[in-house]
This record gives sequence, structure tokens and C-alpha cells, in this order.
Amino acid sequence: MKIRVERDGLADAVAWVARSLPSRPPVPVLGGVLLDAGAEGGSDALTVSGFDYEVSATVGVPATIADGGRTLVSGRLLADITKALPAQPVEIAVDGARASITCGNARFSLPTMPVEDYPQLPAQPELAGEVTGEAFAQAVSQVAVAAGKDDTLPMLTGMRLEITGSTLTLVATDRFRLAMREFSWQPAEGLGDAAVLAPARTLADAAKSLGAGGGTVRVGLASGDGLLGLAGSGRYTTTRLLDAEFPPYRQLLPSDHTSRAVLQVSALAEAIKRVSLVAERGTQVRLEFADGSLRLSAGGDDEGSAEEELPVDYQGEPVTIAFNPGYLVDGLGALHADRAELTFTTPNRPALIKPADDNGDVVPGYLYLLMPVRLPG
Amino acid sequence: MRLVIARCQVNYAGRLTAHLPMATRLLLVKSDGSVSVHSDDRAYKPLNWMSPPCWLIEDGNLWIVENKAGEKLVITIDNVVDEIEHDLGAEPGLVKDGVEAHLQELLAEHITTLGDGYSLVRREYPTAIGPVDILARDSEGIAVAVEIKRRGEIDGVEQLTRYLELLNRDPLLAPVQGVFAAQQIKPQARTLAEDRGIRCVTLDYDALRGIEPDEFRLF
Repeated sequence: MKIRVERDGLADAVAWVARSLPSRPPVPVLGGVLLDAGAEGGSDALTVSGFDYEVSATVGVPATIADGGRTLVSGRLLADITKALPAQPVEIAVDGARASITCGNARFSLPTMPVEDYPQLPAQPELAGEVTGEAFAQAVSQVAVAAGKDDTLPMLTGMRLEITGSTLTLVATDRFRLAMREFSWQPAEGLGDAAVLAPARTLADAAKSLGAGGGTVRVGLASGDGLLGLAGSGRYTTTRLLDAEFPPYRQLLPSDHTSRAVLQVSALAEAIKRVSLVAERGTQVRLEFADGSLRLSAGGDDEGSAEEELPVDYQGEPVTIAFNPGYLVDGLGALHADRAELTFTTPNRPALIKPADDNGDVVPGYLYLLMPVRLPG
Repeated sequence: MRLVIARCQVNYAGRLTAHLPMATRLLLVKSDGSVSVHSDDRAYKPLNWMSPPCWLIEDGNLWIVENKAGEKLVITIDNVVDEIEHDLGAEPGLVKDGVEAHLQELLAEHITTLGDGYSLVRREYPTAIGPVDILARDSEGIAVAVEIKRRGEIDGVEQLTRYLELLNRDPLLAPVQGVFAAQQIKPQARTLAEDRGIRCVTLDYDALRGIEPDEFRLF
């Protein structure tokens, strides 16, 4: 193999692929990136791939190919090297068991690993639909915030993708909060309704990097093989689906409310962060709603205490309700709106947060359901 | 075990020197000859002590504890407030794996925690190199060996691997799948287990005990 490739394209490609590589590969080859020159019938592209049986990542880089071939080198090392190279064309050549990288006056020689031992990359699953990258990345990040991080209940570390005609619904919950986003997309023809559960963290990472490139993201689904594929901006990634039952979440969504408040998101989020400084280990921040004003307080008699008042557009009886400040700030941040609508009934029933427009009307498509915490006494 | 409450002053001469001024303290003289000096705060190690083998020589109000390295603990007693002596008998030892045993019991009771259709064969299933914590069968009747740990580390995976190798030699059981169950699994242990085809399960002790957390939850 002997190729010439632009430094920036190569560095971006290798950095992206290396990100999904395992930090502790059980087999050394899984810590490698596969460089494949001229794989697809003599095309002028270098394909960079990584795979650890869970997640695969593949990206093409334009290259001048003098001599095609495949080689496998340590992903982390190659990422560090390409990042540090000067802005000049990079030549990669493989001779025997070593790969040499030349860029300007810098030369590197890396040991290669046997390509034959590398697992077969999974094929891209069949197209399920398309959506703009930006919208997809935003939707996934809005929902991923509520996914569980604890492995005790694997189903809660996942994000559910529900395809119903031209509507794509994303949901995640960690038992304390639930985020749901519905938006329309362009489903592939002849696609039936489907629902799958994908690891939320992997999906969030993939959506963010594919969405950043602009353009559209193509979502592929192979439920039989348990694979979800995402493709966009010349990048392809697949992830293994979670084989777990997602809780029946629709019954959790409250159908009515007795109190409704409309708030400025940034002012409220900042006030919560300030007040919760005295809340030991982020235990709780209390929200006292009264006509026209919201009083935030945290802490108590035995420790420091803090309070702050904000104007609020409030309808309902005066209520005091307490939340985990971290979860509340997460929810407000995920709205991507200047104003928020908060609706609830009693201090021990879940509250619903939705984005609102300048008139205080709800912007449909997103909701964040948050369980309050027990008030002292 | 001899307990002496006394107003005393302590000097230690050895690898490093230390001095405790005159004050009331608790002196423990244990049957192995060791002497330790405690103050009235914290469930904590003594202020000063001499580990066995060592010898106590009482010379009036002067106690000298010396070990074979020549290190000395010199206790000058002003007055003895109280003194009792009691024979405690043999110590059965600290049982550290109480939670582990309880986890095994609980998981055996709730074997479907591992998956629907699981059934228990028995706890402490014997093998030539020691008993496996739990042997069960999955919904398809395939044997599953379960190793239970409080903290899942590499050595637990190695232990389970050895059991699996032996169990898989039994034509009546093979193939035997492995499950590594722990309250907390270290990333290294998880990587090793999964590489060997062993499934990792994180156990929620409180949930198995049926203790519902006090906090509000959506479901």
C-alpha cells in the first residue's frame, strides 16, 4: 500500500474513528484502525474504519492511491500522530510488517497488526429514513440527558426510537425523569412501524459528530441483526441494539394539571445554580409558587441556606414543590428555548416541563417529565 | 483482656519517638501481651501501642513494654482510676462476606433477576475445586453457572472461568454458560468476562431485599 492524502481530512477521519475504539481492547486488533486504500473497485478514497463488536465507525477520505491495499495500525497512536502532523500532504506506505507515515520532514514508522485477524465490519443496515443532521443531533441530545448511567438496569441506559409513519419519537428515562422528543422525518418507502432501543451514550456521540457536518443523516435499521446504522457527511456508524424491554412510559405522562407557570429559562437556571450551592450534594431546591412570584430556596437551619425570588406567570393555588437541582437544570437546558412551561398538580406527583414561545404558548414536540423530591418534614 | 483506666504519661522510644503528656486514658493489655493506649474519642486506632510479641514489665507505677527489636513503650502511672480483667475466649474472626452470602441467598430466591424463564438448580453446586455459588438453567434449559461478588474484580472472573472449565467437562451439564453477578463490576473485570463469553450482571442489593428506596420515582 502506498498513498498520499491531505493532512486535515486524515486527522479528522482518524480522530473520529479512534473515539469509538475501546479503551481496553480485549484483543489488540480491536484497538486498531483499518486503513483500506482503493477498496471499492479502485476508487480514489482511503477508508478508515474501527470496530469493537459493539460500535463500528467508517469514514472515507479522498486520497491519491499509487498502490492499493489494507493495513491495521494502533488507533490511538495514529490519532495522536495525525493530529500532531504539520499541514502538508501525508504519505502512507506499508512495507512488510511496518507502516511508514511521512509528512514534511517528519517520519513515523509503526508496527502493523495482521489484517486477517480483524473482524468483518458489519454491513450498513437497510435505510429506515432520513432527517437533517442538525435536527437529529439536537433531538438526540435533548433526550439523552434523561438516560440512566447506571448499569443495574440496562434498559434505562438506552434510548428508544419509535418509528410511526413520518414521525420519529425518541424517549429515555432513568426513573427520576423522562425526556421525549417527537419530530417528523422522511421515512424510507415501504417501512413499517418499528421501535428499537439503542445505547443512549453511543447514539448521542454519533448523532453529534454526524450532525456537525451539516447535510442529512440516514438512519438504518436491521432489527433482525440487532443493529442501528447512522450515516451522514461521508461517515458511517453502526451500533448494537439493546436487547431489553423499555418500560411502558406513555402511562406515566400526566393528562391534566392544576398549576401552570411560565418562566424565563436562563434566569431560572442561573438562580437554581446559585441557590443550590448550599444544597448538600445537590439534594434539593424548593420552588414556592405564589401569584406572580416564585421563591427558590435551598439549604436549612443546620447548614447554609439561600433564597432568590423571580417573577413568574403563574396560575393555580400557591404550591411548594422541591426538585433535584441537577435534574431540573438538565431539563431546562435540554429545552433549547428561551421560555419554559412548568405544569404540575401536587408536590409528590411528576411535573412536566415543555418549551414555550414568547407568548407563553407551548411549542409542541418536546417534554421533560421530572419527579419531585420529598419535602423536609 | 485487662482494662486499666489511669492517669498516665507515655513515652515511646523506637524507630521514632513520641510523647503523650499526663492525662487520663484507657490502657488495654491483651492476652497476647500487646498493650495499647486509647483516649476518649473516635472508634479509631490507639494513640500509642506495641504489637506482639512484646513483654510488659510492671515496676510499681512504671510500666515498660518492650519488644525484641528493643523498642520501648514507657508508661508512667500517676493513679489508677479503675481496673477490670475478663477472659474473652477465642475470637471467631470477622465475617466480611456477609453481604455476599446474603446476595447469593437473595439471587437464588429471585433467580429470574438473571432473565425470564431462569430456574434454580441449586446453591453451592459442588465441583472438584470448590462450590459454584449458583447453578441455574435458562429458559431453554441450558446450564448457567453464576459467581456472585460484592465487588466484581478480575480474580472473580478467573474463579468463574476455572469453574466453567470444569463444569463443561461434565457431559450431562455442558454447555455451561457463565454469569458474573456483582453489586459493582470493575471495567477491567467486565472486559475480561465479556471477552470470555461470560455475561455481567449488576445486582441491586436493596431491590433484591425488597427495600424500596424512600425517594419518589416515576415508576
